[in-house]
Amino acid sequence: MPADPNMKILVVDDMSTMRRIVKNILKQLGFNNLEEAENGQEALTKLKADTYGFVVSDWNMPVMMGIDMLRAIRADESLKKIPVLMVTAEAQKENLMEAVQAGVSNYVVKPFTAETMQDKINKIFK
Amino acid sequence: MAQPRAAAQSQPATDDLDQEEKTPDTKLYEELGELARFIDTTMKTLSEFSAPVNASTEQLPQAQTHLLNLKTQTEQGTHRVMLEVEAIQDNHAHISTMLKEMTRALQQAKVSPEIIQQLHTLGQTLGQDDKRLLDIMTALSFQDLVAQSVNKLVTILDEVEHKLLQLVVVFGPYQKQAAKTDQSKASEMLKQLEATKNTSMDQDLADEILKQFGFN
Repeated sequence: MPADPNMKILVVDDMSTMRRIVKNILKQLGFNNLEEAENGQEALTKLKADTYGFVVSDWNMPVMMGIDMLRAIRADESLKKIPVLMVTAEAQKENLMEAVQAGVSNYVVKPFTAETMQDKINKIFK
Repeated sequence: MAQPRAAAQSQPATDDLDQEEKTPDTKLYEELGELARFIDTTMKTLSEFSAPVNASTEQLPQAQTHLLNLKTQTEQGTHRVMLEVEAIQDNHAHISTMLKEMTRALQQAKVSPEIIQQLHTLGQTLGQDDKRLLDIMTALSFQDLVAQSVNKLVTILDEVEHKLLQLVVVFGPYQKQAAKTDQSKASEMLKQLEATKNTSMDQDLADEILKQFGFN
């Protein structure tokens, strides 16, 4: 299923600079319906209030970590089919298996390039 | 560091004779006395570190502030660069649209193919620059890694501040030969320090502890 350029995408990160970078990359890839949240808790509230086609989330965040948000999404009947791309720092590579077990759709390690992000998104929606 | 038991064993031979004549209670009393003196000496030695410990403790909140400022400044600087990159990206998108419209108009007007080719080359150059702009954006993710490192350093400094303040509380009353009321207050402060162990320390508590021991 090719990615719908009009689908609503939620970018979740506690750092405003990272949200801006990810949104910029997504915009350059042709996606224009972009929303953002500062942590997993805020993301879940937004996901339950509207229809989203894709989530790009950081791992390490205050209030609710990305992995906990991912588990909550997969446990929710109305949200569980939303693809989730996790973004994490090099030092947290060991968490990859944990993310896979929790049902992550794909995984990007920081610092990443626009090509890597595009490649991962293409693999999710191919 | 000297051992009290070892010190007792190295007494002259005449003392050994005295020891044999003493009752077990007397020997125990003397050993406890030696132990008390040893602890007293150790406490005095450790309390000599109070001044440098206090100086360090007073500077730690400043160090934390500097680090948090560093995080804020890199964040603001990064956003400033991003703003400029986004403005150029928007201009490029606008120019790219105009180039396409011009190419179409020139093709309809049947102008020289060389001119159309030049416009096409111009569009390609613009696309290459767009790629560079996107590379600049992603390279700015360094700020996120800087912020994460700063956060870890602030957490470490917070832990060190807790430990140093515990030393100030323990040795402060001892150094000043404080009354029992001060020692009781020290005990209360230790409890408060313990209660804030897993959270960021309240600055008021840190200031109060330092103030109690004469450091303003």
